[in-house]
Formats: sequence, structure tokens, C-alpha cells
Amino acid sequence: MTRLRVVAAQELRDLWLTGRGLPLILAYAVLLSVTSYLVASNRALNFLEQREAVGLTLQVGVGVAALLVLVVAADAISGERERGTLESLLLTPAPRWVLLAGKGLAAMSLWLVAYVVSVPYVWYLARGTGVLGRALVAGLGVGTLIVLFLCSLGLAISTVTGSNRVALSVSFFLLLAAFFPTQLPTAAQSGGVADVLLRVDPVTAGLHYLSELVVRGRPAGEDLGWLVGPIVLAVAAAAAACTVGARMSLRPGRRA
Amino acid sequence: MPPAIACTGLSKSYGPRQAVQPLELEVEPGTLLGFLGPNGAGKTSVIRILTTILTPDAGAFTVAGVPHDRPAEIRRRVGVLPESAGYAEGQTGEQVLTFFARLYGQSGTQASATARELLDLVGLAERARTLVAGYSRGMRQRLGIARALVNRPEVVFLDEPTLGLDPAGQRQVLQVIGGIARQRGSTVVLSTHLLAEVEEVCDRVVILNAGRVVADGGIDEVARVAAAPRQGRVRLPADSVAAGLRVLSASPEVARIARSEARDEIVVELREGLTPAEAGPRILRALLDADLPVLAVELDRGRLSDAFLTLTADT
Ligand SMILES: Nc1ncnc2c1ncn2[C@@H]1O[C@H](COP(=O)(O)OP(=O)(O)OP(=O)(O)O)[C@@H](O)[C@H]1O
Ligand SMILES: [Mg+2]
Repeated sequence: MTRLRVVAAQELRDLWLTGRGLPLILAYAVLLSVTSYLVASNRALNFLEQREAVGLTLQVGVGVAALLVLVVAADAISGERERGTLESLLLTPAPRWVLLAGKGLAAMSLWLVAYVVSVPYVWYLARGTGVLGRALVAGLGVGTLIVLFLCSLGLAISTVTGSNRVALSVSFFLLLAAFFPTQLPTAAQSGGVADVLLRVDPVTAGLHYLSELVVRGRPAGEDLGWLVGPIVLAVAAAAAACTVGARMSLRPGRRA
Repeated sequence: MPPAIACTGLSKSYGPRQAVQPLELEVEPGTLLGFLGPNGAGKTSVIRILTTILTPDAGAFTVAGVPHDRPAEIRRRVGVLPESAGYAEGQTGEQVLTFFARLYGQSGTQASATARELLDLVGLAERARTLVAGYSRGMRQRLGIARALVNRPEVVFLDEPTLGLDPAGQRQVLQVIGGIARQRGSTVVLSTHLLAEVEEVCDRVVILNAGRVVADGGIDEVARVAAAPRQGRVRLPADSVAAGLRVLSASPEVARIARSEARDEIVVELREGLTPAEAGPRILRALLDADLPVLAVELDRGRLSDAFLTLTADT
């Protein structure tokens, strides 16, 4: 546990003091500003539309934050490998999954900061609608599940790919694939297979739950079934990442 | 006391390329071992196997008395400067060392103390708070050596610690390495291309070629066995050089002669199988018998570099 803390603290310092943490969050804030400006500048908002604006902003926030976390996670091990710093880490008695988990925690911090940054935007858009509280709570919960899922995938990919570029592009492809079903036309969404897909994919299921809650104003307990997929898959992905991480090697794909 | 390193039948191939042939090696504790070999000989592969980074295809080994099936325990007892080691550029030397000391389970205060002690040992105390990004190559190598020592290792592996350093830098690093072996009593495996530095600090040398040990022993021993020197120079007054050439070309000890233009010197190459001790007096006698006023006969002493070239010639 101490080692996990040591690795996480080191990675946090790296990310926020010297690394890409601040520039990424800055870009995030700019994007969120543009999005909220666009949705808020529509003068003809009635209450429903205003809630849609909140929902949309939350979705964009979660989506972009997931992308940022994925970029950092995909770089976690493959980056060390490429910079020649991995061997020294592997030479320490620290369990390899601890190295991975420490990096994962640091990457997740990006999501927490992004969430905090998005609070004022959500507050501004949601004022007077009465959904602010549930938007913030559900946004945090659902966002954490989705980001944890993608972060774990990114870490696992980073562990098994030889180069940084491959890790980044594979992760990016997976991100697109995970978000893709949100773009399916509604007709396709009502089919049996599509329904299963939407419920299983943590991204679509999580965002669906979020919008039911925030936009349609459904009670929080009503659609909890939609969260089963995200919870199960987020936990499974994190466990899988640790398992893959435990076999981390200097050169992936070889018996090394 | 168990040997610092013992391995039997260790082998490793990458696809069809056999990088390490079945390898037998035993190293006594406290030895400063020079681990030599040309590019691609398998030095790094052997070091990676012994430090649990690479799994061998076959064979068994112990390091610091710990068998290979307990890799975490081996890692606790060895220190390694990996080949082409990188560093977190955004950290100071002190931060790097403290972080690694903590990964070995030291508390925050212990780790800071370790970092300061080692920075001092490798002569980086004054740059402790400088970012690694601002370190020169030699400073990085010294930081890497310090990092290899954070856990007070019983066996230290240094994979080309002097790579890319200028002569002063090499000397400095070698002094540090010699100090590690003497003062800390650690066993040191020093992989390098620089033969002179092995001659300077090592107790024993192992030469690897194409994954095989081709020589193993004390420096003098290896140099003598592998390559008795076969060159020498005969100096004569200018007007006797022509006569000297005639005598030497007729001498059965000499395989080849050449006249060196710069000085009145004849370069001789001895026939194979002859040692300088045998050939020297006979050459001198032949010259004196021909009434030539010999100014000097010098035959080269055994050098490790000759041994190295001889033993690794067929690659
Ligand atoms: N990851 C790898 N994949 C394929 N072949 C490899 C790999 N690593 C090493 N080799 C091959 O194994 C052989 C031994 O390499 P190794 O790096 O152990 O040699 P070395 O003695 O350390 O060389 P150098 O002095 O250049 O560092 C070489 O022929 C090399 O091409
Ligand atoms: Mg090497």
C-alpha cells in the first residue's frame, strides 16, 4: 500500500507539476466554455431545453475528460518503455500491478480535476431548473465509471503494446468504438441486439442513465438497471488491467 | 558463503538468433568482474536474465544465493544500471533517488538520507537539486550508478557505465565503481567495451563472444593465454638496417618483417606459437652473431586488447 502511494504521488507530481496535466485541463476548460456558450446563447430556452443543455454539457464533459484520461493512461507504460525508464522500474521489488495502479490513479486525477472544472458550467446552465444536485452527483458517479473503464483499457493496452504510437491509436479507436453506439439512429436503438449493446457498453449505458435522470427528470432509482453494465465492466476492466499489469515486461509479446 | 552469481546451462534466443549459448559462470562474492565482448555478444542479455528482466529459455541460476524462481527476492538484492537507462527529466537527482529508495520500502526520511549519501558518493551532491534534464551525460551515468545502489545491493550490474563519456568522465566513473567494490564489499559485474578500464579496476575478466564464454580468468592470465604478443621492434644504427633486415628475414623465429621509415627501426612479427621470452634471446643472438651493433630489441607485453581481438576475431 505504501508503494502504491509512493508511485501514485510520484505520478501525480509528474502529471501536474511538469507534465501535461495543466495544458490538458486548460484545453478542457476552453472546450467546455465553447460548448456551454453555444447551448446557453440560445435565448429561447424553456425549462426542458435548459435541462437538455445541462445534460449535453455533462456528456461533453465526461466524453472529453475520458479522452484526456485515456491519452495519459495509454502513455503510462508504453511511454516509460520508449523513454528507457521502464527497466529501472521493473528492477525494483515493487509489484508490477502496483506500478500500473499508481499510474492509473494519477490518470484518474485528471478526471476529478476536469469534473471540478465543469461544476461552475453545470451550475450556470442548471440554475432555476432544480436538477443541479442530481446532475452533479450523477455526473460524478457515471463519469467515474466510464472514465475508470476507459482508463483501465488504456493502461492494459499500454502494457501490451510495444510503442507509444500504437498504444495511443488503439486506445483512441476503442474510445470511438465505445462512443459510437450513442450515434446510432433511434430506430436502430430499439432493436433487440442494439438494446443489449447499448446496455452493455458502459459509455452508452452510463450516458443514457445520466440523461434519463437529468433531462427527463426520472427518479434516480428508476433506471438503475442501466448502471449494471458500467459498474460491472468498470470493475472488470480495472481488475483485468491489474492482471495484465502484473505480467508487465520490458518487451511485450516476448517471453520476457 | 554462496557464490554471488552461479549459473548453469543458461540460454536465450530471440527467434532464430541464439543470443546466449548454454552459459556456465560462477562469481565469488566481492569480485569486480569485467564482462567483455563485442557488440551483440550477449552481455546485456545475460545481465537482463540474471536481473530477472528477461526469462531464459533454459538453465538455472542463483544471484546473491537466491534461486531464479524467486525473482522479487533477487531484485531486492541486486542493483542495476541498465543499458541505455533513461531518467524522468522533470525531476531532480535527489527526487529520482528518493523515489527509488521508497520503492525498495524505505521510509521517507530513510530514503532522503540514502539519496543524499549516494549523491555524495558519486560526486553529484552539488547538483542534487538540479533537474535531470540539465544533467550532462556523465552526470546521468553517475546518477544511474547511484540509483543502482539505493538498496545496498549485494551484487551490482553495470551495463556499459562509461558509454559516451570523455576520458575524464570515464576515470571518474571508474573510481566510483572501484570504490563500490572495495568499500561496500559488493560484487560488481562491469560490462564494457573499454579494455583499458577493465585492466585498471577488475579482478577478473570474462570475455563473451556470440553468446559463449571464450575466456575467463585474471587479466594477465587471459591476456597471456589468449594472445601472446607477437610483435616487436629492433633498433639499429641507420647504416646497419639493411644488414639487419637480411639477418632477420633469414631467422626462423620471424614470420614477417617490415622497415619502419620514421626511425631506424625494424618491425618484426614472431612466428605463431613462440612466446616473446623464447624468441627474444634468439633474435638478439642472430643479430649479434652477424656483428651488428644492436641498439634495442623490444617485444610487446601481453595486452588484454590483443586477447580480446584474437578471441572475438571470427565474428
Ligand atoms: N529484443 C531483441 N530482439 C531480437 N534480438 C535481440 C534482442 N535483444 C538482443 N538481440 C540480439 O541478441 C544478441 C545479443 O544482444 P545483446 O544486446 O545481449 O548484446 P551485447 O553484448 O549487450 O551488445 P552491445 O555491446 O552492443 O550492447 C544480438 O545478436 C542482438 O541482435
Ligand atoms: Mg549491451
